[in-house]
Amino acid sequence: MNLDLPALLAQTALLLLMAPLLSGLIKNWKAKLQNRRGPRIWQPYFDVVKFLRKDMVISEHASWIFLVTPYVVFVTALSAGLMVPMITAHAPMSLFGGALALVGLLALGRFFLALGGLDPASAFGGMGSSREMTLSAIAEPAMMLAIFTVAIAAGSTNLSQIVLASHGPHWKFLDPSHALAFAAMFIVLLAETGRIPVDNPATHLELTMIHEAMLLEYSGRYLALIEWGASIKQLVLMSLLANIFFPVGLAADATPAAFGLGLLFLVAKLVLLAGAVVLVETTNAKLRLFRVPDLLSVAFMLGTLALVSTFLF
Amino acid sequence: MNPPTSESAAHLITLLASIMLVLQLLLVVQRMLVANIRVFATQSLLLAAIAAVVGYAYHAPHVYVVAVLTLAGKVIFLPWWLERLVRQIKIEQEIDAFVNVPAAMLICGAQTVLAYIVARPITSLERLGNNTLAVAIALMLIGFFLMINRRKAITQVLALLTMENGVMLAAIALTTYGMPLVVEIGIFFDVVVAVMVLGILVFRIRETFASMDVSKLNELKW
Repeated sequence: MNLDLPALLAQTALLLLMAPLLSGLIKNWKAKLQNRRGPRIWQPYFDVVKFLRKDMVISEHASWIFLVTPYVVFVTALSAGLMVPMITAHAPMSLFGGALALVGLLALGRFFLALGGLDPASAFGGMGSSREMTLSAIAEPAMMLAIFTVAIAAGSTNLSQIVLASHGPHWKFLDPSHALAFAAMFIVLLAETGRIPVDNPATHLELTMIHEAMLLEYSGRYLALIEWGASIKQLVLMSLLANIFFPVGLAADATPAAFGLGLLFLVAKLVLLAGAVVLVETTNAKLRLFRVPDLLSVAFMLGTLALVSTFLF
Repeated sequence: MNPPTSESAAHLITLLASIMLVLQLLLVVQRMLVANIRVFATQSLLLAAIAAVVGYAYHAPHVYVVAVLTLAGKVIFLPWWLERLVRQIKIEQEIDAFVNVPAAMLICGAQTVLAYIVARPITSLERLGNNTLAVAIALMLIGFFLMINRRKAITQVLALLTMENGVMLAAIALTTYGMPLVVEIGIFFDVVVAVMVLGILVFRIRETFASMDVSKLNELKW
């Protein structure tokens, strides 16, 4: 299996273009559900373009870490996205790594983002970084346990293999252990994308902010890169969740019709998942920061039970 | 009874049972009383769905009665009654637990694993659902733990109800497609009456001690 250049370019374009749209869709639906008119769904594109044209203000105390962070965040999110099967079962970069590489890349991006928050020595940045690290220390193992549950059923940690195994005879669609793993993964998704029970994505004027606190010092082009990277990460996690638990409609052969159908299924799954996220965000209040580990420990326990129950019966 | 139907039915039952387990774990972390009651109602709805699937797939019409009774009693009537109680005693916020949440989750996880191990020798004989028995035992154990862990009387009532959900699940999905109808109706009305009596008791505790904390009852000793 060699590197398929057109597929690589196509998935890169898909990730770059669809990520802001998904963020915009969630924002718009959330506003509608709260009886507000809300921003248009393509507003995030305008935001990115506007940020790209603005000047940057960089603290004189900032070191090279501050300057390199936006690129690292953006590139890690993008390359993690290239390992996830989105339209076809064959992810363009599946040759380079599977679930472990994906989790590692996202962790690398998060590590640099935390460093970037600490670097200009603003009080908020440090708080945001320490909170992010505290939460990810629990969220990350929960995510790995959930992915491993599916990986054991498929016999491989390669995400393309996992998706392909779903067509095999040993695969049980929506196995009980998958239900547990899905619940764990959904909580992790809320935590990783900074959604409401964990973090409030709508404001950067709150003492309990996590993600926004880290990028408080960023402006202009760098802010655009980080925001875009964050929305790509959200798209990657959501399509991971959609495709490894519900691997329906992925294009099997390389015909335009199959690709179109695959795209249609992907969009449908993402829209459903976005609807679920919006419902959770609207019906729940933000948790107190010290309560968040409680929620994540539930995710961790669900992931553990999912993994254990694959062995125990 | 053709095999594909019963196989997919068994699959569906196991799936619904494991969602019941997820809800039970949510009950351990949730601190709002009304949300707790709604989680319990959802769990009972799944139980009713399992009963309906069993009744349909294995041609056991009397299990439909169980489904309807569960739907009427545990999904509609008891949650309504408990929510009314919560409104009357005007305590809806926090529930103090003896053990903090991460430790409680670890205990519940250990109980679930224990349930799996205990159920394992029996699962080979089981006709329905692969690990439904394990889930049922886990529901009972976690419900028992929930009763010990919570101070407020009303959540102890809820914990009792979830334990009863576990018993019902074991009865419906395990051996005989449910117990004889008379026994089931008996158990059902037993629970309804017990909850109503407990509800009055909770109200009394609240009036006498100005709190729902059952540890206050220790003052009666002196």
